[in-house]
Amino acid sequence: MSSPASPPVIVHLPVLRRGVRIFLFFSCAVLLTGVVSLMFADLLWRTGWSTSRTVLLVLFILLFLLVAIGCVHGLFGFLLRVFGDRARITRFADYAQQSIAGTSTAIIIPIYNEDVPRVYEGIRATYESLRATGQLERFDFFILSDSTDPDKWIEEESRWHALIRDLGALGRIYYRRRCNNEAKKSGNVRDFLNTWGRRYRYFICFDADSLMRGETIVRLVQMMEANPQVGLIQTVPALVNAESLFGRIQQFANRLYAPVFITGLNYWTLSIGNYWGHNAIIRTEPFMQFCDLPQLPGRKPFGGQILSHDFVEAALMLKENWRVWLACDLEGSYEEGPQGLIENAQRDRRWCQGNLQHAMLLFAKGLRGVSRIHLLLGIFGYLSSPLWLLFMLTYCWIRWSHEWSELSDITVGAFTPWLSGISATAHGFLIFLLCMGALFLPKVLAIVELALDARRRKAFGGVVKVTYSAIAETLFSALHAPLQMLWHTQFVVTILLGLGVNWGVQNRGADGTGWLHALRRHWWHMLVGIIWGGLVLWLDPGVFWWFSPVLAGLVLAVPLSVLTNRSELGRRAGDLGLFVTPEETHPPEEIALLRERLWKLGAEGALTPRPPDSGLADAVLDPYVNAIHVSLLREQRLHPAYAAAMNRIAAQPGDAQALAERLLAQGPAALSASEKLRLLSDPTVMSWLHRQAWMRPGHTLALWWQKAIRRYAR
Amino acid sequence: MARGRVDACEQSAGIYATVSIHQPNGPEFVSIVRTDPCVLGWTESPGRLAGRPLEEWNAAYAKVESYFNALRVRNKVLLGQLVALVIERAMRRARTTPERSASELAAEEMDHVVTEWFAEVLQEPPTNRDQMLSTRGRLALLLADMPGRWQDQFLRPGPWPEEFLQAMRDAYLRAGPDFQLSQMTPRPLDLGPIATLNSIARVRYSKMIGIWLLFAALLVLLFVLTH
Repeated sequence: MSSPASPPVIVHLPVLRRGVRIFLFFSCAVLLTGVVSLMFADLLWRTGWSTSRTVLLVLFILLFLLVAIGCVHGLFGFLLRVFGDRARITRFADYAQQSIAGTSTAIIIPIYNEDVPRVYEGIRATYESLRATGQLERFDFFILSDSTDPDKWIEEESRWHALIRDLGALGRIYYRRRCNNEAKKSGNVRDFLNTWGRRYRYFICFDADSLMRGETIVRLVQMMEANPQVGLIQTVPALVNAESLFGRIQQFANRLYAPVFITGLNYWTLSIGNYWGHNAIIRTEPFMQFCDLPQLPGRKPFGGQILSHDFVEAALMLKENWRVWLACDLEGSYEEGPQGLIENAQRDRRWCQGNLQHAMLLFAKGLRGVSRIHLLLGIFGYLSSPLWLLFMLTYCWIRWSHEWSELSDITVGAFTPWLSGISATAHGFLIFLLCMGALFLPKVLAIVELALDARRRKAFGGVVKVTYSAIAETLFSALHAPLQMLWHTQFVVTILLGLGVNWGVQNRGADGTGWLHALRRHWWHMLVGIIWGGLVLWLDPGVFWWFSPVLAGLVLAVPLSVLTNRSELGRRAGDLGLFVTPEETHPPEEIALLRERLWKLGAEGALTPRPPDSGLADAVLDPYVNAIHVSLLREQRLHPAYAAAMNRIAAQPGDAQALAERLLAQGPAALSASEKLRLLSDPTVMSWLHRQAWMRPGHTLALWWQKAIRRYAR
Repeated sequence: MARGRVDACEQSAGIYATVSIHQPNGPEFVSIVRTDPCVLGWTESPGRLAGRPLEEWNAAYAKVESYFNALRVRNKVLLGQLVALVIERAMRRARTTPERSASELAAEEMDHVVTEWFAEVLQEPPTNRDQMLSTRGRLALLLADMPGRWQDQFLRPGPWPEEFLQAMRDAYLRAGPDFQLSQMTPRPLDLGPIATLNSIARVRYSKMIGIWLLFAALLVLLFVLTH
């Protein structure tokens, strides 16, 4: 983070230089791809050209271009971090002295059936951190619930009250639940903007697991004030609080490699950057004016509501000549990542559909060229998996057809003069080395860059341990990548065919993924690995060993998934000094507070999962929870749109009073989730239920209620 | 019981009195004392109270106590007195309504006592229509921090400390600031060639198959003509 004591040099970057940067950056990637692809084409030429080899070459070019873009990001990022780059939003104006006295900013936290204590403790840590800056009165917090689980809904309300009571934040931290979750997160944010947006000059969007330092939030507002042409500033959230081995590996990779990659990304995006959906500050007025998302024509999966809204919102902002920046060097922005392979794939499944849908917008008129690049890179983030699979299958086909033809291996000389002196085997090995170099160069550069920075080096636990960790992370990535390949291919194919993937509910054992659950998710990966491995071994034992890293990942999928999801292994790795991150060795105050509070809640048993329908029991029986719930419902009725939605719920077939009677007489098991939601949405019925549950003789109530009432006896 | 000077003794509903006692070096102590011992029906036969078996009153006591527990009345002395207050009222009614169980009567009396007290404190007439007063009262208790600061004031007849009254009457749970309603509307977006492709995708499957067959026939024709 740039120090407020030393005002940054004000830099004005000409538009031309921006274009030069994009040209230079992608030219490097294309040049690298061109050279290596030419060598690959030459290798194919030496072994005899065929149609399948043309397919193989096309796939190679596409795949290597993606690798080269990653490599160039790493290379540019490394150079810029070592030699410095002034073209950053944090250096564009002397924002540190900028007053934010007249500003109002909403910090919005859209949630959907989340882990309530974690979300609220994140809000508490951010709130406390913001209070410490002395600028709290410029900010309001909004918990925007879309939760459909009745228990979560009630827990959110109860804990919200406890939070505002503890913090003295009544009138500072607000809670709102929508009656329906139309258009999901983007609809939730839009609903907030339609209701309160005009009260705030800026809003900062959080994810459920987001956390931000107060100072960072204030700096973002200062930057927006100092740069009136900027519509959005995206921070780079650091992954924190991982416990499982998988989570800690991902967290380590994020903290070690991201600075280099993100600096490279900032090199070419500059003021035409992107939005990642959270941990970003947005200028409300242009966002409301230009960024409402259109419905896409046609059928699902491409038509209808835009699922991954963030990229599109940034593109719409840029289309109207507002600037979108990446605050690549601003610290104090955090999020949490998935703790296991399966959860990671679940998240990818959602993102995959959203990214593929962006294909509809690729040729939209008026979008900036750079927005199309962002969209295209997002699409290829998922399309690359089926392409990689296709590449390997095509190679296997070529080998098989060669074996089947019973022709002997005769190679001709290379058409490239400087390769003519080496054998085809050496030629192939050279290409392999170049590919590996392009893949691993950014990682090596990230370690070198770390070694040059004493502060970061110490925070990571020293270069030696970082090197060991990076080697272990690379080995794990090599095993994980083939699984990602098959999963992403499955996602792409099922999405294109308009099929859903039923993931069901995550079956968590005492510590992470259970063996049976892992077997259910991974059996086909193992099967593919075993069959494919057997075929390759039968076809050409020499080739088998080249395929072994890919096959190992598939065959070992179950133990890999189970073991890396274990917190115990994550802890042991930490004890050995592996995968250590700065937030672990020197936890910032906000992270320390969050961990301390979660530990305290855990010790008090407040994090223990409660039995089903506990929320409903509280909403009916607890005099205070019922009062909070009913008063929130009554307040919600003041909003015309919410009142209409509540009336629609009330007008559903069936008598609410009869439902309430059934609830009392037969217990919650006699009602469906939607029936429970219907009762919970009716303030009159909820007041009535509270009174009746306490006043009726015990024998007229379901046994479930009698037990629930007995819990209040001491 | 603390020794101290009795400051005030107020009769309420004819069955109990609240006695405020000032201790020389301590806080004000408030006690609710029974004034009509006959209510308990001590003259009845063994095993019965106010015309009901003891077990029935025990169940009624447990239910009332549970409700006050739910209201977080944690002080055992106050809790016992409040429960006794409700049970005594129920016992008075028990003689005239033999068809109702002790628990029912106690639950009703509990509801009356609490609602009447809310009406007095919040200066609102009690209505039985939508339990609005009860909801507001419970919310006010929570926001005024009755469980933490004002347990001794709960269900006590007035006058109440001004700070407590103010906290109860001003209690309002603000879940959001004033609305400033507006309506975001999406701007039209021309999808370019994708829109054309999309319109092709809307063609009926039968038509699409027909077009493909025609295309295939054209290819066959070209092959035949060129070979």
